Amino acid sequence: MTIRRIEVRERVMERNNSLARDVRARLRGIGVPAFNLVSSPGSGKTLLLERTLQDLGKEMHIAVVTGDVQTQNDADRIANWTDHLVQAVVTGGACHLDARQVTQALEALELSAVDLLFIENVGNLVCPASWDLGETAKIVLFSVTEGEDKPLKYPKMFQQARYAMLTKTDLLPHVPFDVAKAKEFALEVNPRLQFFQTSGLTGDGLEPWYDFLRAQVTPRTRPKARARRSNGLAGAAS
Amino acid sequence: MHEMSVALEVCRIAEDQVGLAALPNVREVGVIVGRDSGVEPESLRFCLETLLASAPFRGARAALDLTPGDDLRVSYLEIEDDDSAN
Repeated sequence: MTIRRIEVRERVMERNNSLARDVRARLRGIGVPAFNLVSSPGSGKTLLLERTLQDLGKEMHIAVVTGDVQTQNDADRIANWTDHLVQAVVTGGACHLDARQVTQALEALELSAVDLLFIENVGNLVCPASWDLGETAKIVLFSVTEGEDKPLKYPKMFQQARYAMLTKTDLLPHVPFDVAKAKEFALEVNPRLQFFQTSGLTGDGLEPWYDFLRAQVTPRTRPKARARRSNGLAGAAS
Repeated sequence: MHEMSVALEVCRIAEDQVGLAALPNVREVGVIVGRDSGVEPESLRFCLETLLASAPFRGARAALDLTPGDDLRVSYLEIEDDDSAN
């Protein structure tokens, strides 16, 4: 018997990361920005999407890939506000979406007719931070009913995110939540974070969010998407 | 809590490297685990040892090398070759 040693050096996440790179290249190629919404359960990801689809659905084509551990409830809620483009992934117990699931979900969407893509991740502030889905950016939501120290407790997620959204701000008069302190903690772990403050219930703060989304989509994406549609197959084939 | 997914991926990488038939001969799997990789080393060790104790593996050791940073990779495999078969 002899023992031999094989040097491997392969990243454990390489297969996921390679699929994520493909997703990113594909979305970039057709000019579709993609935002991966992450948060703990119950922070308001689905309500934010419902409001956004309701308010922006007429001016841009928004597709949603939504992941739930069990049930299709979130997909059904979102589907109420759009005629098309909702793809549900039931993870069957898994605590995060991975790039393989997103790749499969995208197969079911007609991306050439899409201006903007949301990926609603599984509610969990730990695991989704480790899985690149090929998104343009992660947006981390946290509600004012949670602790201000969420960013310190879950630093990896806040480091990975480019944007943070404080949600349920209509409850601020009723809860001892210190917005300034929450932002300070978030900036401590990620100085480059940009913030939104919204209430899905009253609509407060949604306009800056919509303006941000409009800026992501125009002028780069929408004229191109329109041109492609009006050119039909000839445009797509060239 | 995705240590089991990570452990399964480590086993898949081992199979890619040596082939299914050689997995029972794997004696040790070396994994570099960065402290900021989002993986809890003791939990990963537990998951990995559980997998390496069951078929097609035959009780390979999990050697975790804890490092600074966010690296997470399989660094080496040790295989016991049956010389008499050659």
